[in-house]
Amino acid sequence: MKINELVKFRKSRKFRNSLTSRYLMIIMIALLFLQISLPFTALIYFFYENLTKSSESVQGKPYPDALALEKMWHQEAKNLDGRLGEQINESLLRLWQTYPHSKVFWVDRNNKTQLRMPDQGDIPEVWNTADIISFMKKYTDADPFTVVAFIGDQENKGQGFMVFQLPRELMKGSSVAGNNTAFYGIAMSVMFVLFIAISWLFFSRIRRRLLRLESAMTAPRDNGIPAPIELKKRDEIGQLEAAFNHMIEQLEESRQREQEEEQLRKQLIASLSHDLRTPLTVIRSHLYSLQKEQLTEQGTSSLALMEMKISDLATLIDNLLSYNLLTSGRYTLSLETRDVLRIVREGAAAWYPVWEKEHFEVDINLEDDPLMWSVDEQWFRRILDNLFQNIVRHAKTGRYIGIWTEKREGGAAILIADHGQGMDAASQSKGAGIGLAIVDFLVKEMRLCWEVDSSEKGTTVILYHENLNKI
Amino acid sequence: MNITTILYIEDDHEIGSWVTKDLAERGYEVVWLTSGEEAVDKAAGSQLAILDVMLPGLDGFTIGQRLKKAYPSMPILMLSARTSIDDKLQGLQFADDYLTKPFHPDELAARVEVLLRRFFAHVSEPTELKHLLVYENENRIVNRLSGEEIILTGKQFQIFSYLIRNLGQILTKEQIYESVWGETYLEGDKTLMVHIRYLREKLEQDPASPEIIETVRGVGYRVRK
Repeated sequence: MKINELVKFRKSRKFRNSLTSRYLMIIMIALLFLQISLPFTALIYFFYENLTKSSESVQGKPYPDALALEKMWHQEAKNLDGRLGEQINESLLRLWQTYPHSKVFWVDRNNKTQLRMPDQGDIPEVWNTADIISFMKKYTDADPFTVVAFIGDQENKGQGFMVFQLPRELMKGSSVAGNNTAFYGIAMSVMFVLFIAISWLFFSRIRRRLLRLESAMTAPRDNGIPAPIELKKRDEIGQLEAAFNHMIEQLEESRQREQEEEQLRKQLIASLSHDLRTPLTVIRSHLYSLQKEQLTEQGTSSLALMEMKISDLATLIDNLLSYNLLTSGRYTLSLETRDVLRIVREGAAAWYPVWEKEHFEVDINLEDDPLMWSVDEQWFRRILDNLFQNIVRHAKTGRYIGIWTEKREGGAAILIADHGQGMDAASQSKGAGIGLAIVDFLVKEMRLCWEVDSSEKGTTVILYHENLNKI
Repeated sequence: MNITTILYIEDDHEIGSWVTKDLAERGYEVVWLTSGEEAVDKAAGSQLAILDVMLPGLDGFTIGQRLKKAYPSMPILMLSARTSIDDKLQGLQFADDYLTKPFHPDELAARVEVLLRRFFAHVSEPTELKHLLVYENENRIVNRLSGEEIILTGKQFQIFSYLIRNLGQILTKEQIYESVWGETYLEGDKTLMVHIRYLREKLEQDPASPEIIETVRGVGYRVRK
């Protein structure tokens, strides 16, 4: 994604897309939880009741609810205003027949119980104040449902009172209070669990996406850069993912630019090497042809000198270009754990004929055990080549090369020694510096160390691993 | 013995004519091309190819890969003024040797000889080594002094012919072991030393001071002419 796309992506973020809005919504639900849930459950309850009502009359609830019965009883009491005892008896009997499961009785102005339907033994014949109080106490808000009304529906008329009792189970809407509480409790806990589940889901999804992002960031591909993430949502984490993708893109671009530059530099150096070495080859070919001619002794030695200088020049070009490539920072060594003694042996095998030709005494004494260092094999060979070359070029007078390993604390060191006139004397040789500069650079890049111990009697180069203590 | 034909691709006329002349003097027939376009067609009948890298048109690496594909058994020697490690590594992915300019014609000739020996042991004449006559194609070694044939075991012969194929070169014990046994050499393994000792007992006139298989102390072994 390009920068402008990222900006567009950022601009396009809306409140509804944001995690904040979703979090606020959950908080709102939590705050409004009670206020909303209570009426809601009531509503559900109401519908539930309505649904079950129709079936109730069939299932043995033949009487209306408490309110209707109370209203009916008071209406009847009002209608009986001023009637005689006989008339009241008749009227109540009729009512009792309408509500056959009920108990009906009335007490006249002299506190005497009159009609009792059906015949009830627990009702006193004559009511005193204590009886009335205990009756009222016993049946207020109790089962059976009880309605007491003054005849004429007014206490001060002194016409007595009439009582209507009906078991609550036969009345509509007469569920016991306990049922109601259980229903509300269950409804509330369902909603509470729902709320917890939603919150948990919200956070677990955030957590999962963060973990996905983390694992994407820490899992690099072959090129060492993590893969971009597929964008799914446009919230804050989505923006983070977009920013991450953008960062990866920039990394890849810069990596590509770097590789292009490295390629370009390599190309340039290859061309330079070609352009410089081709004329040298031509010169050499003519020298070779000349050598076949009849020449004076001086002519032959001149040719030999020229030939040597051509080799020096070729080496110098090589070193110069390598140094340029290496120090440009555009070159990466590929370090691998290798047995360096094996590389040393192979290097020595390649140089051995040269040493023999120069009549060197060769003293090679390497340990049998492998010496594993993390090196770039090709460039480690280059270190050895440069050191060996230096000896052949500049320590020829010593006619000696020694290569051996020495035990040190924490591992072995490789020593390469000659019996030349020492490094200072070799400074007259042009081009020695660049070869050693390459050695120095490569040694440091491979996290190795080297020491040079040079005197007039010879030079010893000591190569060892960085973590090795000095003698 | 048939004349060996070498395909040589070089765009620089001075170098090209010089190398062609030098190789011809050494008894090779040289087919010299200045560009690689026709390389694959012209390579028919050549036993070896010497390629420059920087060429007009197709570069030496591309030509080399095409040649290797068309003639897998033809050794290829890259002869280049490009000396960087990357170039050498790229070249050696398909080529069998990589020589950098400026080179000495003797070195070029020596490398050509090694390559031909490595690839066409069957066309070469018996190799004379001191008192030995080695018929590599027949797996036969004869003592010239006594006229007796020397019988080697399979492994002994493999080691000896590997050394002969790389005549004059020092080979490390790792190189010999890995070439003959085809396994990674484990440090401290004495198998090779034991084999060399038995080999010397059969080949050398005086196994105590060997002349055929030379020990290069600290490095490896070598068989010289």
